[in-house]
Amino acid sequence: MAKKFDTNSNLYIVVYATVMVVVVAVLLAVAALSLQERQYANELNEKKQSILQSLGAQDRNYDDFISAYVLDAEGQRIEGEDVFALLKDLPGAFAAGKFPVFEAADGRVVLPVTGTGLWGPIWGYVALEKDMDTVAGIIMAHKGETPGLGAEIATEKYQRQFVGKTIFEGDEFRSITLVKGGAHGDAHGVDAISGGTKTSDGVTAMLRTSLEHYLPMLRAARVAEAAPAAEPTGDEAQEMSNDENVENNE
Amino acid sequence: MSKQEKEPLFSAKNRKYLTGPFSANNPVIVQILGICSALAVTVQLKPAIVMALSVTVVTAFANLVMSLLRNGVPARIRIIVQLVVIAALVILVDQVLKAYVYEVSKQLSVYVGLIITNCIVMGRVEAFALANKPWPALLDGIGNGLGYGLILIVVAFFRELFGSGSLMGYRIVPESWYEAGYANCGLMLFPPMALILVGCIIWVHRSRNKDLQEK
Repeated sequence: MAKKFDTNSNLYIVVYATVMVVVVAVLLAVAALSLQERQYANELNEKKQSILQSLGAQDRNYDDFISAYVLDAEGQRIEGEDVFALLKDLPGAFAAGKFPVFEAADGRVVLPVTGTGLWGPIWGYVALEKDMDTVAGIIMAHKGETPGLGAEIATEKYQRQFVGKTIFEGDEFRSITLVKGGAHGDAHGVDAISGGTKTSDGVTAMLRTSLEHYLPMLRAARVAEAAPAAEPTGDEAQEMSNDENVENNE
Repeated sequence: MSKQEKEPLFSAKNRKYLTGPFSANNPVIVQILGICSALAVTVQLKPAIVMALSVTVVTAFANLVMSLLRNGVPARIRIIVQLVVIAALVILVDQVLKAYVYEVSKQLSVYVGLIITNCIVMGRVEAFALANKPWPALLDGIGNGLGYGLILIVVAFFRELFGSGSLMGYRIVPESWYEAGYANCGLMLFPPMALILVGCIIWVHRSRNKDLQEK
C-alpha cells in the first residue's frame, strides 16, 4: 500500500523527516519528564548516604540525624540556600563563597570537598569529630580515575586510613597529605597510592583547598570546644555527662 | 502478512535468527563488531550484564521499529532515520537506568550513550530489519544483542574473578589466599586484557568450528 507513494520525492522526505523528529522529540520529552523526579531522588539519596557513610552512621535516618546549613567565607550562616542544589556544583558554590556544612546530632560535622584527579573531577565528604580536628571518616568518589590505581581512592580499604588523622597541629592548619612511599604514622599523612601519584596529589590538593574554606568555622568551633561550654542545651548536657564513659571508646 | 501467519512463530528458520548469533554468527567473535564497549564495561560482571541487557533492548526494538517502518522510509535518508530511531532508544534506556539502577548507570557512564555507535545495532538494522518482517527482525535483534552480551559476560566473569577476586561484587577469593601470597592480577583490570580474552574466546571458538577457519 505504501508503494503508491514515491518515497523518494523531496516533499515526502521533508515531511517524513519533520514528522519523525517531532514524534521522537515528544516521546523523549515525556520520558525525561516522567523519570526526572526519580532520577533526582536517586542523586539526592546517594549524597545523603555518602554523608551518613562518612560518619559511619549508615543505619541512621538522614533527616533525623543531620542538619545542613550554608556558611559564607567568614563562617557566618547564610539563610535560605538549598544545600543539595549547591552540592550539585560544589566548585561553583565554593567560588561563589557558599560552603555547605552537614552537622550530625552528635556534634560531628561533615564537610564536602572537591578537586581534580588525573582524568577528571574527584569529590568527597570529610567527617570530623567534635574536636573539629580528628577525621571520623571520609568518603571519596571520582569520575574516571584509572581502575586499580587512582580509582583506589574510592575503596573503603583506602578511605579507612584517614580515620583518626588530624588536620590541625596546635592551631596551625595542616590538612592531610598523601605521602609517597608511605606516611609511617604521620598524624597528618596517609599512604599515597603507588602508581596513582597524580590522583594522590589531586586528593591532597582537594583536601587542603576545600577544608581551608571552612577554617573560620573550624577555628571558632575549636575555641568554643576548648573553653568550657557556655550554654549547654539539653542534648549537649546529656552528652557531656556521658563524656567520661564515651571518651575512650575506640 | 498472510505468508507469515502460516509460519509458526518459532519455526526452525525463526529460531535460527534468534540462536544463530549466539555462536556461528556471533557479532563479537565472528563479525568482530562492538569490540570497544566489550573492552570498556567488562571490568566487573554486574555492569556487563546491564550493558548486555541494554544493548539487547536497543537492538531488538531498533530492528522492530525499522522493520515496521521499512516500506515507508525514504531510501535516501534511511541511515538518518535509523540513527534517530537508535539514538532515541538509547536515550530512553539511559534515562530508565538512571531512574531505576542508578549505581550501575554510574558505572556504565558514557558507554550507555555509546550504544548508539555500536556497529552491531546499525549493522543489523541495515542488513536485516530493512529487508525482513517485524517478527524475524525482532528475533534477530534479540539474538544479536544476547550474542554480544554472552561474550561480554564471559569476559567480565574472568576479569572480575582474576582482577578483583570477586563476582557481582561478592568476594570469591578467600582472605586466607591473599595472606598466603595470592595477588589479584592488576592487568585484568585494563582494557588490553579484555582484548586478549576476546582473542582467546575467538581462538577456542574457531578451533571448535572448522567452517569458520580461513583457508
